[in-house]
Amino acid sequence: MGLEMRVAAEEVEAAPAAAPSAAGEPVGVEIYPLSRYYFGAREAAGGDGGGGRESATGADRELRLKANFAAHGLRTSVHGVLLVELFDHPHVLLLQVRNSSFLLPGGRLRPGEQDVRGLKRKLSSKLSIVGDQDDEVEVDEWQIGERIGMWWRSEFDAVPFPYLLPNARAPKECIKLFLIKLPVSRQFVVPRNMKLLAVPLSQIHNNAQVYGPIIAGIPNLLSKFSFNFIND
Amino acid sequence: MVNSSSPVVNMYPLANYTFGTKEPKMEKDTSVADRLARMKVNYMKEGMRTSVEAILLVQEHNHPHILLLQIGNTFCKLPGGRLKPGENEIEGLKRKLCSKLAVNSPSFPPNWQVGECVAVWWRPNFETVMYPYCPPHITKPKECKKLFIVHLSEREYFAVPRNLKLLAVPLFELYDNVQRYGPVISTIPQQLSRFQFNMVSS
Repeated sequence: MGLEMRVAAEEVEAAPAAAPSAAGEPVGVEIYPLSRYYFGAREAAGGDGGGGRESATGADRELRLKANFAAHGLRTSVHGVLLVELFDHPHVLLLQVRNSSFLLPGGRLRPGEQDVRGLKRKLSSKLSIVGDQDDEVEVDEWQIGERIGMWWRSEFDAVPFPYLLPNARAPKECIKLFLIKLPVSRQFVVPRNMKLLAVPLSQIHNNAQVYGPIIAGIPNLLSKFSFNFIND
Repeated sequence: MVNSSSPVVNMYPLANYTFGTKEPKMEKDTSVADRLARMKVNYMKEGMRTSVEAILLVQEHNHPHILLLQIGNTFCKLPGGRLKPGENEIEGLKRKLCSKLAVNSPSFPPNWQVGECVAVWWRPNFETVMYPYCPPHITKPKECKKLFIVHLSEREYFAVPRNLKLLAVPLFELYDNVQRYGPVISTIPQQLSRFQFNMVSS
């Protein structure tokens, strides 16, 4: 039987059938020094992405996720990998909540929302002065680059895996990572209950114990890029 | 610039592929120490070693499997090898694939479709450890290894050297399995996660 099965693809922009892409040339990415960027703080935002989730108990969160899954199906979250240069080595910008867990900036898409649009909304929500879920936010503030990885959770609190097992029940969450191209300079404004850190690739590599498998796997996802450190 | 389109990889059933054998291709080194010593000699002559390896994907039970060459009873590696000085990466990879896997016959002309580079690993010293970035303060890495997806067509004929076994290993077996497959192969599942897999059944 000529069945064609597609592992779940949620985004609207489906690629045409396989033509092998150009090989050989490394993909160049410009990275600017950490010193070009400015970091400020603002009051913690309310709403589902920021303050709301921090104050929920574990049981509340579980109920909320189950209800959302029943209503909308697979939860997709999108996160950005933002890179700066320090000591000639790429550093990833990570948010740290309450001196413990590390997060990539990003969050859950609304039902029916496109990846890129949702990611811009979440990046502005976490990293800009605007900080609210307005749709009127200047959505072109962020340059979203390539999708560099995807992770799947079979249960809400399960360990994520970088593939979907074919006979598994419907997955509960899909996590997508995108490379973000930062401008030469920018101001980041972060909710006061979070810190924004620049962490070297050498520190997150293989360090799932501290950073979790998704963040610790980022150097592996970035290895194919050729980074140009621009400082003048 | 917004670019979130995902390249598609077609995967055909393992059963579509025919595996024959050919003359053995012995390893040049009999031990890790020998291999590192030979690497040092080559480095003195030719500078940093560039090697290229191929990720060949098939599907079984609708899950992606990677083709690995097994030497002896345990050690697995991707098909590929060292480039000659000045050799183009793609041409070199095709050369290595022909050497390891192609039938040496005019009626089966090799037609390797090399896709994109999915990973680059760096060896800072003449030791076994490698990193997916050039570590800070390393100005003279000893080796750079690049992994490419190679797109297989619906049917292929392979000839495997008699002293090697060709295995199709599922991604879930490789993931996180550094002990058995090493850091380069065990992280391939993450590097492939961005692709949209199209599993074709016969």
